[in-house]
Amino acid sequence: MRYLMMSKASATAPDEKLFAEMGAFIEELTAAGVLLATGGLAPEGIRLVSSGGELTITDGPFAETKEAVVGFALVEVRSKEEAVELGRRFRTIVGDGESVIQEVFGP
Amino acid sequence: MPVTDVHRSVDAIWRMESARIIAALARMVRDVGLAEELAQDALVAALEQWPGQGVPDNPGAWLMLVAKRRAVDRIRRDRRLAETGAELAREADRDAGPAGGWAPDTADEPADLLRLMFVSCHPVLPTESRVALTLRLLGGLTAAEIARAFLTVEPLVARRIATAKQTLADAGVAFELPDGAELADRLASVLEVVYLIFNEGYSATSGDDLMRPGLCLEALRLGRLLADAAPDEAEVHGLVALMEIQASRAAARTGPGGEPVPLHAQNRGRWDPLLIRRGFAAMLRARAAGGTAGPYVLQAAIAVCHAQASSAEETDWPRIAGLYEALVRLVPSPVVRLNQAVAVGMAAGPEAGLALTEELLADPALRDYHLLPGVRGDLLLRSGRREEARREFERAAALTKNAAERDFLLRRAASVPAGAPGTRDQGPTLGEAAQAFLAREELPPATARSYGQTLQRLRLALGDGLPVAAMTADQVAGVFRTAWGSAAAATWNRHRAAVGSFGAWAEVPHLDARLVRRRDNSSRRKGTSSAGAAGPGEPPGGSDVLRRALQESALRERALWTLLRESEAAVSAVLGLNVEDLDVADRRALPGTSGRHRVAWRSSAAALLAELVGARTSGPLFLSDRRPGPARLRTLGARDICPHTGRGRLSYERAEYLCKTTTGLTLRQLRATG
Repeated sequence: MRYLMMSKASATAPDEKLFAEMGAFIEELTAAGVLLATGGLAPEGIRLVSSGGELTITDGPFAETKEAVVGFALVEVRSKEEAVELGRRFRTIVGDGESVIQEVFGP
Repeated sequence: MPVTDVHRSVDAIWRMESARIIAALARMVRDVGLAEELAQDALVAALEQWPGQGVPDNPGAWLMLVAKRRAVDRIRRDRRLAETGAELAREADRDAGPAGGWAPDTADEPADLLRLMFVSCHPVLPTESRVALTLRLLGGLTAAEIARAFLTVEPLVARRIATAKQTLADAGVAFELPDGAELADRLASVLEVVYLIFNEGYSATSGDDLMRPGLCLEALRLGRLLADAAPDEAEVHGLVALMEIQASRAAARTGPGGEPVPLHAQNRGRWDPLLIRRGFAAMLRARAAGGTAGPYVLQAAIAVCHAQASSAEETDWPRIAGLYEALVRLVPSPVVRLNQAVAVGMAAGPEAGLALTEELLADPALRDYHLLPGVRGDLLLRSGRREEARREFERAAALTKNAAERDFLLRRAASVPAGAPGTRDQGPTLGEAAQAFLAREELPPATARSYGQTLQRLRLALGDGLPVAAMTADQVAGVFRTAWGSAAAATWNRHRAAVGSFGAWAEVPHLDARLVRRRDNSSRRKGTSSAGAAGPGEPPGGSDVLRRALQESALRERALWTLLRESEAAVSAVLGLNVEDLDVADRRALPGTSGRHRVAWRSSAAALLAELVGARTSGPLFLSDRRPGPARLRTLGARDICPHTGRGRLSYERAEYLCKTTTGLTLRQLRATG
């Protein structure tokens, strides 16, 4: 089963050690065939809102930066616990902050 | 965290980390079974400590450290390895690093994992044990999970794994990477196991236990791991590419009713683009690794062609036909050749494809394979031969065991537009005539049963819709060659008589014109022995019975019997011979490769063996008539499967049966006549 983990901006700025640890972590998960896709997201998103059949498009960035998703990882695992465990290790590396994990259905 | 949650975490961590831990330990203690035991000890320690102390930041490193310490304790207890123990202890201490830090020495990991794969797929183990051990050691699956995935019971899998570990220990299998020519062989065995696991999952249908489709993911993980550990091997990347692309079609390959959806009819929008992209990337790595394309790279290249076409019409068939041509040279199995016929039919027109299927019609391995008439129906329809196409679809429907597929084929048969006027007025069809012929009241039940067998084979092979008036003696002879070519004379003659009777009744008198009556040894045996022709020491059947059997039976039987008589070796040793064991020049099997018994022969056997072996270079010397079904396949080792034809080794039971029915002697009695 696939899970998507989305992470919000963290309070602390990344340093060399974090980059090195994160690099090793990503490499390990890729080699094990667990990590299918990962990436960071640009803060200036584009918002599309449909209402009454009318579409409104607004360019970012938006005010509530702390709530914005800044990175994602798509993983292929055998159970929810495995996804949680991977998330736990990710959070240990990046420090304080928030991530959300959701199962992906389809395609 | 509540204890149950910790247990679930430990379980998940174990599945993710166990392979690496076992692999590292196996390098230290040189024993896979012991390595797994020590790793389990570490797992028990985690279950005891983590609920109280919390899960460590890097649980994998924690487990590895504890396991390595146990290994060192174990080694220290063994005095002969005291020095190695001290060195390994230093390694374990170094790995401990700063408390809880994320920087263990991981440089050896890919090599360790690769070694572990080579050991768990070692040729000394039967195939099913390789599969079970690989899933256990590298997939972290429990025996119960493996049993569920392979539709068997847990004790059997547990016993299989235990026996496999014991076999590895007894055989003194080194925990080393093989090199040179051996590496290629051993790698082929690993790839075979991984692809076998994948196909076991891929062939499962939507209603099955989820554990079976889970095998696809397990195989993909193993393949990706293998690609990371052996990045220079093109075939590894080829297998990964093949599996990624096949897995990308998982959602599209069954319809809402569970019926299979053929490739050309699949909704390509449901193919998983992520997996396709991964497949393409793996293919690029395979090309970068270089070398001549092996079977997996070729199959992956074919899969890539399909994946690149945005619709079925845009498929690059000429390229696929070319790839199949190369694949057939490497893997000349009938199924691959049938796929080649499909590709050629698309690339060069239906007639060219049909020509390739003609050769396959005579292959006993495809006798009951519904896809052969299915493919032929397609090709015939496209070349405008509608009546024949309809009959092939009906024949395919009669052969398939899958109800959804049967309905589909019957619908295809019914939807074939009627041919030119007059084609439907050729009198009764084979199906109708056979039923009427068998339903006659004057026919004794035993005779009806016997005739029924013959006609059933003709109906399956030629199709119920064929007008009896259009049947030819050549068609009948072709069916006989495929179905009963190697059968005993009595069987052949019984079927021949049935055709003669049916032909006379249906007013097609020459149906059996191309069937030569075979000499029936069993009926003559009484005559010769009562005439007292058998001299002292001669078999009860008389020497002329035997001589005739040795002249008139199929090549395989003649070769086997002559070899037995000339070598006087044990029957099981002779049946156990492999092509590569033969020393043709010295007329003997190389000592040591054929087990305990030396087998030597003389000129007659030598000539027959040369003919029997043909172009084969390896695999069992005496092969069964057909390729083994999936159930039988699981009981055969890789040594018992012919790499050229995919057929299994001839069994003692079958060989004994053929010998008895033809010569009246058991194989051992026959050997004594030499």
